[in-house]
Amino acid sequence: MWYKIIVIADWFGEMAERNKLVRDFNKAAKNAFIAGISPTLLETKITLGESAFRHAFSKFLGGGFRIKALSGRPMEKSELIEVGKVVLDNEELVRKLISLGWDTLEVHDSQGFRGCK
Amino acid sequence: MENILLQIPSNTAVISALTKSQLIFTSFWFWASLIEFIVIILLIIKLKKRKSNLSFAELTKDKIKSSKDLHIDMDNLMNSIGGSKDLYKELSRLCHPDKFINKPEQKIAEEIFQEISRHKRNYEKLALLRERAKSELNINFKN
Repeated sequence: MWYKIIVIADWFGEMAERNKLVRDFNKAAKNAFIAGISPTLLETKITLGESAFRHAFSKFLGGGFRIKALSGRPMEKSELIEVGKVVLDNEELVRKLISLGWDTLEVHDSQGFRGCK
Repeated sequence: MENILLQIPSNTAVISALTKSQLIFTSFWFWASLIEFIVIILLIIKLKKRKSNLSFAELTKDKIKSSKDLHIDMDNLMNSIGGSKDLYKELSRLCHPDKFINKPEQKIAEEIFQEISRHKRNYEKLALLRERAKSELNINFKN
């Protein structure tokens, strides 16, 4: 019984950590946009993710880390790729994302369904 | 021994203490337990040495727990998304080693350029390299 309680507590702890990471990202993106550091307002969401990129630690129905760029104009594919590359170049963040159950990084435009995975 | 003790009643306390200590040191079990104790200590030392040789010896429980609180610098990430590309372009143009051919700063420029290429999308590192280029290569940046 205690084992089950520990497992449930771990699960909730991990979910809280995932939400905290998303919240921190959104907060920093908002501040950067207000300060004029970043030309686009970025927003992250947890999505289903791509089944082809699944790994051993993937969260069921929560493996996607979507960054949505609310630029006010359609963004070019190179810009989307650049945002993704900056995130993937941050080794600490990537390690944390993988350990917390994310497997797919999606960078989306604000308009339509255009995006990169 | 008891007979002797009975014959000299005035010094019984001293003699009994002496005999007890002598008995302890001469007894077989004392030496056996002492050797056993030394062997146990040696084994513990050996075990500790072996543990410290393991690659994961530095991973303690506290360290694993503290890794959860690992703070990711989101401000640096946002700076990198917004400004690392321009800064990289500027730095790679101004600090290119070809600008310092046959000059004493050539080696430093090569080193800095390698660092710039390695941290292409890390704004914080690029900003530090910019300061280094300013001081060591005497480059004047616009901003």
